[in-house]
Amino acid sequence: MPSATPQAPEPKEPKIQFHDDKELAAGVLRKDRKATAEWVSLYADSVYTYVRRRLVPRADRVDDVVQEVFLAAWESLGQFEGKGNSSLGSWLLGIARHKVEDYYRRCLRQADMPLEEDYSTSARANPQTLDEALDRQRAERKTHLILSQLREPYSLILLWRYWEKRSLREIAEQTGRSEKAVERLLARAREEFKRKWNE
Amino acid sequence: MNDQPMQDDLFFAEIAVLEDALEASHCAPSRLKARIYSSLVKRQQLSGPLLSLNRTKESGRDLCVFEELVQILPVGERAKRFNCCSVCHARILGEQLEHPPIFWGNCPYVAFRRE
Repeated sequence: MPSATPQAPEPKEPKIQFHDDKELAAGVLRKDRKATAEWVSLYADSVYTYVRRRLVPRADRVDDVVQEVFLAAWESLGQFEGKGNSSLGSWLLGIARHKVEDYYRRCLRQADMPLEEDYSTSARANPQTLDEALDRQRAERKTHLILSQLREPYSLILLWRYWEKRSLREIAEQTGRSEKAVERLLARAREEFKRKWNE
Repeated sequence: MNDQPMQDDLFFAEIAVLEDALEASHCAPSRLKARIYSSLVKRQQLSGPLLSLNRTKESGRDLCVFEELVQILPVGERAKRFNCCSVCHARILGEQLEHPPIFWGNCPYVAFRRE
């Protein structure tokens, strides 16, 4: 809404000056401070959005991980220059994905895995199709809420398995756990998620 | 045969797709962008000086009022590679406030401010 009171003139935002990703990356590599600022301006939002979604239970870690992404990207920006078709944005998201998975790996390595007897198949919730459950918007909010309420290892294993689409074997290799142990943790996480979903 | 795990897999695959498709994109806080920029410049300086302000200006980039001052001063290249932002209060404001009151143009921290 326009304000009636006079205000100091808004400074002009810098124009987008680097017209292609390679040019921008080259500017950052030359340590041109304006290119570096433009790099952050252009890509911080998409990296932030991705990391925020993937670290639902640990919103307090999002800023640190986003910063780690850019610092890691700076260290290997020379490698981007050599790559032909990938955009700087998708290249950064690739690094973000690795950083998120590093976080999952660290947390799940330290997490207590449920013992075999902890997992009761009789306690599984009834399957429920989404169409029958809630409308889309409510489902999305509900998913987000439940993920933020679950114990951290449960949220992370669900995100890793279903949002990042990693197989049990891959997760087991990354965390140094047996596939069986990962499967049990995932089963417990699903059970807990669905219990909350059906509440 | 118990097909529960497969049904669970389908259920979660479906909500993962749904959630990703529906969640709106978010703007990173401007404080975060400011801190990332400051860290990047600091990290860049670890492997040598920044590009000189003369070179930056020559390549058509606009400088802020303080950078402009340093750029026109009769000082050596070394001074012109100095990161002026490291001693500027705009950096501190930008890193701490979501709407930092910075009222001069071409300050890198202005670009991060959310309107």
